[in-house]
Amino acid sequence: MGDRSSADGLLGHTGSRAGRATAPNASKLQVGILMRRPETGAFLGMIFVAVFFTVFGGWLFVSPQGIASWLNVAAILGIIAVPIGFLMIAGELDISIGAMVPAASMCIGVLSGYYGLPVAVGIFVTLAFGAVVGLINGLMVVRTAVPSLIVTMGTLFAVAGLMLFLSIVLTSTTSVSMTAPAWAKAIFGSTIGYGFQVMIFWWLGLTALFYFFLHLSPWGNWLFALGGDRVSARNAGIPVDRLTVGLFILSSMSAAFVGMCQTILYNSAQVSTGQSFIFNTIISVVIGGVLLTGGFGSVLGIFFGTITFAIVNQGIFYTDFDRNLSSLIIGVMLLIAVLMNNTFRQMALSYTGKRRSGGR
Amino acid sequence: MAAPPILSLVNVSKSFGPIDVLHEISLDIRAGEVLCLLGDNGAGKSTLIRILSGVHQPSAGSILFEGRPTTFENPRAAADRGIATVHQFGGTFPLMTIGRSFFVGMEPTKGWGPFKVFDRRKANEIAVKAVRDFGITRIVDGDRLVGGLSGGERQSLAIARAVHFGAKVLILDEPTAALGVKQAAHVLRIVNEAKRRGLAVVFITHQVMHAMAVGDHFAVLIRGTVAADFRKGEKTREEITDLMAGGEVMADLEARIEVD
Amino acid sequence: MKAKFLARAMLAAAALAISAVQSNAADIAVISGSAEDAFFNPIKRGVDDAATLIESHGGKVTYLTVPNYDNFGPDLARLIATAISQNVQGIAIPVWVPEAQMPALQEAAEKGIRIMLYNTRTSGPDDQIAINYFGTDEAVAGKAGGDYFAGSGAKKILCVIHVPGAVNLETRCDGVEEGATAGGAEIVRLPLPASIQSNMAATSEAIKAELLKDQTLDVVLTLNAQTSDAAAMAIEQAGAAGKVRLGTFDLSTSVLDRIKAGAQAMAIDQQPYLQSFLATTLLANNIDYGMELATNPILTGPAIIDASNIEAALNGVTSGVR
Repeated sequence: MGDRSSADGLLGHTGSRAGRATAPNASKLQVGILMRRPETGAFLGMIFVAVFFTVFGGWLFVSPQGIASWLNVAAILGIIAVPIGFLMIAGELDISIGAMVPAASMCIGVLSGYYGLPVAVGIFVTLAFGAVVGLINGLMVVRTAVPSLIVTMGTLFAVAGLMLFLSIVLTSTTSVSMTAPAWAKAIFGSTIGYGFQVMIFWWLGLTALFYFFLHLSPWGNWLFALGGDRVSARNAGIPVDRLTVGLFILSSMSAAFVGMCQTILYNSAQVSTGQSFIFNTIISVVIGGVLLTGGFGSVLGIFFGTITFAIVNQGIFYTDFDRNLSSLIIGVMLLIAVLMNNTFRQMALSYTGKRRSGGR
Repeated sequence: MAAPPILSLVNVSKSFGPIDVLHEISLDIRAGEVLCLLGDNGAGKSTLIRILSGVHQPSAGSILFEGRPTTFENPRAAADRGIATVHQFGGTFPLMTIGRSFFVGMEPTKGWGPFKVFDRRKANEIAVKAVRDFGITRIVDGDRLVGGLSGGERQSLAIARAVHFGAKVLILDEPTAALGVKQAAHVLRIVNEAKRRGLAVVFITHQVMHAMAVGDHFAVLIRGTVAADFRKGEKTREEITDLMAGGEVMADLEARIEVD
Repeated sequence: MKAKFLARAMLAAAALAISAVQSNAADIAVISGSAEDAFFNPIKRGVDDAATLIESHGGKVTYLTVPNYDNFGPDLARLIATAISQNVQGIAIPVWVPEAQMPALQEAAEKGIRIMLYNTRTSGPDDQIAINYFGTDEAVAGKAGGDYFAGSGAKKILCVIHVPGAVNLETRCDGVEEGATAGGAEIVRLPLPASIQSNMAATSEAIKAELLKDQTLDVVLTLNAQTSDAAAMAIEQAGAAGKVRLGTFDLSTSVLDRIKAGAQAMAIDQQPYLQSFLATTLLANNIDYGMELATNPILTGPAIIDASNIEAALNGVTSGVR
């Protein structure tokens, strides 16, 4: 019932979502249809901040090095943001990624840096560690009635504590250095051209994969159903528990992947708190138009939302604004982006019109 | 009627701890018939539905499905036997498109292996056709969000979905409660259509008018017991209304006497 | 001059240590920061080494740490109360939150417990309850960094403040500014917003943007080792290797690796091992034999590590004392 009221508030009663080129006669691309896609708001928010920082940041902001600046940050964030977006569509949250990123970073650093094991072993163990933490998160969420925010808050501290303990016991320090072999650097942590990290390609590839999963494969349908109404989804025969656990494993592993790549790129790792990852991914997902109440969202939206966040976050350093105002400007720009997106989404979803007579 | 019941409750009771919610309920549900379950709030209708759809198991008594004693361990088990429950608000997903929500859990796909893709066009076509076959001609675009449909349209969509996937018993939980007169008439037409197609329909309501319009068989539930069980034409509308109201008064009286 | 000062302190401590004999038994509590912070590893090592010495003479050293920095002041006061209740004879402790710690320390002093300060103090009259102070002065350390770069030809220094508003970090930058301006260089401060903290890529890209925007920058000075890792990448990506030099406060393996490889100019070390080792040793000898040092405070830093002394520093890291 909560679903219904929120949906009605959002949609109006005769809402029509004319989305992706649809019913027989709508195959020709229309600007109007494009405007009503759910990602349009996120896209316009991105354009807005890009124009803003081009105006105030000058040519340097749009130079290849400037573009690399925010694309690199977007890539790292985006790889985690989409799985977090999936969880939010499913009505869950995973904040343990805040500990997972530095923990994975330490994990490979200790194994392949301090102990000098082959980097492939370090990569494998690190990703497996991520999978195990995700499995624990997922199982605890589906087996207990504890909200995922609380469960993952528990694992957030547990993982951070475990990593600190192990790192002190094993290496008697909290920072390690590691030099990865050339092949690993080339694949996971190097820069090309004007400072574009290879992470960008991972990000684009994974985003395409995630797009397939959510919007093309049947599993995407399961995910939307799960977020819309868990009980109905279960009754419809969807393995909701397995799906939920799978999503937690995905988010945890993506965080582990990012942490691992950072160690390979920066040749060092330290026990630290990655709190900023928690907020930054959630902000990106929300800018991208995913509903905090679940059941609605799109991969392209999250993609644009992540870029928007990265532009705002890094663009500030290309401007001449007083650096002490950075946080203020970031906050204001993000609010504007979210508001633009919300307005557009409402326009898109409450659209009623000529399409009523479509498909005949 | 001559046809054997598809689903029967025999002396079914249900209690939660010390509280008896249902007491020795016996009911027969037949294909091609609409059983109207009448009763005021708190009469035990919801609990009865939950037993029929496998959410709860009876504390005593038995359920016969096609003549054989059966237990539905969970809603999935009941659904597998063809028992479909449609809740007040359609029980569907407001933020999903008509085509997608219609096929939740049974998505049509095209392509092969890991590249199987949800066949949106096919899903939309089937969903729209199924709903239109029930006389809802306003729905033409399978990409519309369910949340954008009217209450009656949502009910219709949910019923069409259940029928499409081979439901034998259709349990409708207060489908007309939140609807206006026109919308309610809409839903009642669809109930009749489902009956015509040979489904057994359990229609839960507290509106006698709506029940009279489609019902073949009536059961009045008061404080967890079947207070009356009769067929179409055996009682007038006034009698049924009196029965529901009178029963309520009687029960109140009894309760007071017991307290004293 | 600093080195001489330090050598004198070391000698004094060593002399004190040797003179300790078994008959007396100082019972000491050393209160310290969270083990999560890499900075406290050599501090703990210093305490451990001092404890070996003290325990061999029948004394006892208890090492108490706060779990994290979330409830810093009350946690520290609680640890002082714990130490008092254990009837220790001496407490060695940094003063990070004077308002919370001073009343508890006063109480300890009134019970006859000797107080030794290390790492941080208030430099107010309250410090008079302590026997001595082994530590650093952020302004002095910052000035040493400013002197180092200005003295070797730097014109414009970027001082990266990874937690804006943190007093000790701002003081470091103030010190850098003092040293730099005296040597004819200017400094630019870069406070990093919270959304960037602990995100290596975002930190690195922020520093890169500053370097691209202001081509006259020729030094990046970071205030901790992790930011230094990000800055090293930023300098490389801005195409400024060789033109922009990198310095940092505090050490890590990767910082030292870079100094060895020539990719980083220097690191400013406050030698925390010496702080805790000397503070603990002197406290024990003061309790047992009434010994004191003539100089107060005793600064253990700044010690600058650059290409000239990197090998020795690396040995120190391997041994866990740097």
